Amino acid sequence: MTDTTADLIHGNASAVPAGVAIGALNNGFALASAKDFRNDIEVLNYALALEYLEAEFYRQGNKADLVKGKEKQYLMQIGADEASHVATLTATIQKLGGTPIGAPAVDFGGAFENRKSYLTTAHVFENKGVGAYLGAAGFVKDKMILQAAAGIFGVEARHAAVVGNLLGLKAEGGVYQGSFEKGIAKADVLTAVAPFLVDPNKVVAAITY
Amino acid sequence: MGIKAIFGGRPVLEFADENSRRSFLRNAALVGVGVTYVATRVGDPLAFGTADRGYGANDANASDLDILNYALTLEYLEAAFYTAGLKANLLKGRELELVDPIQQHEADHVKAVRTTITDLGGKAVAQPKVKFPAGTFSNRANFLKLAGTFEELGVKAYHGQVTLVKSPEILGAAASIAGVESRHAAIIAQITGGNPFPAPIEANLPMGPVLKAAMPFLAK
Repeated sequence: MTDTTADLIHGNASAVPAGVAIGALNNGFALASAKDFRNDIEVLNYALALEYLEAEFYRQGNKADLVKGKEKQYLMQIGADEASHVATLTATIQKLGGTPIGAPAVDFGGAFENRKSYLTTAHVFENKGVGAYLGAAGFVKDKMILQAAAGIFGVEARHAAVVGNLLGLKAEGGVYQGSFEKGIAKADVLTAVAPFLVDPNKVVAAITY
Repeated sequence: MGIKAIFGGRPVLEFADENSRRSFLRNAALVGVGVTYVATRVGDPLAFGTADRGYGANDANASDLDILNYALTLEYLEAAFYTAGLKANLLKGRELELVDPIQQHEADHVKAVRTTITDLGGKAVAQPKVKFPAGTFSNRANFLKLAGTFEELGVKAYHGQVTLVKSPEILGAAASIAGVESRHAAIIAQITGGNPFPAPIEANLPMGPVLKAAMPFLAK
């Protein structure tokens, strides 16, 4: 894939004629700054940090016995998906010769007080996850990694929609976030998840060396 | 309930049932860097002639404009489908609230993809004539069943082009649409008693099989 990887380096828009702005699709794909990620391993470790957080969130939430029946089944499945993402990203980083970051120490505060607080926090995590993948995707150079990251991104969007629906949120702006997903810059994602990290600096250091 | 320890001996993974565990194990090994993982086969025959539709002869040779026109065709199909389905007045209450915005999303996707093609100096394919099986819009179940088929097909179609799109901007645009299709697919599955989360990572399909699946709905 050596001849194709360069095509996807962020900012290399050689296939798009100069001066062409894809105005109809202002989705924030190119919003992150060049210094956010230096290579694929940094992007993968960023994703891994978020997946660790999500996997642990659902593990604790599902143990708290706040949901039942079909709803519980959905949340168990979502938790298993997040754990699968952790395993996939870890294996991928190792295969690339990188060092996967460790699981961060987390504290979800009052998220597991009741069903509503659990689902509401889950909804925030899922939508931040969707935006984080989209915001970082432009930095991924290896197309096979991009395929996997896109595949995970889509599943996070599924989670976000279903959790939004379990909460009975309005369809547009709750279950769906418009006709186009929007990327979220790394700094904003990290700010959003910082309250759940016992030591946010440790995580930031781990994903940016 | 089985508990598997995967991270340094910490039990963080609990499976709802044996199926979830198997699905996890299958997908955990999905991504192999340096492994011969071929997303699309070069030379996949398309379901129909390409010359009059403007697609490349196969996925690997498809230009970004070819891929955009391929996406446009699928979005046209979806938009027409929901327009007809909503007109038939088959849904009410929460279901209607959930399906109604999908029609608008698909119409917005058509518009955005068309504009992108034009901005790039390309020629957008014309809106195809569509046909749906008899009875599709005669009841709620038939409508939503085909909706689920279209959404899952759309998701796989977008993910099948991820490694082939050359421009990062177009890739980002396609991804921002694909994520919305994933939301649709999950919601349609949820309201029809299907599985909103068929896999931990979205599946993908190359153009050939997608077009073969879409062809019965495209009128000559």
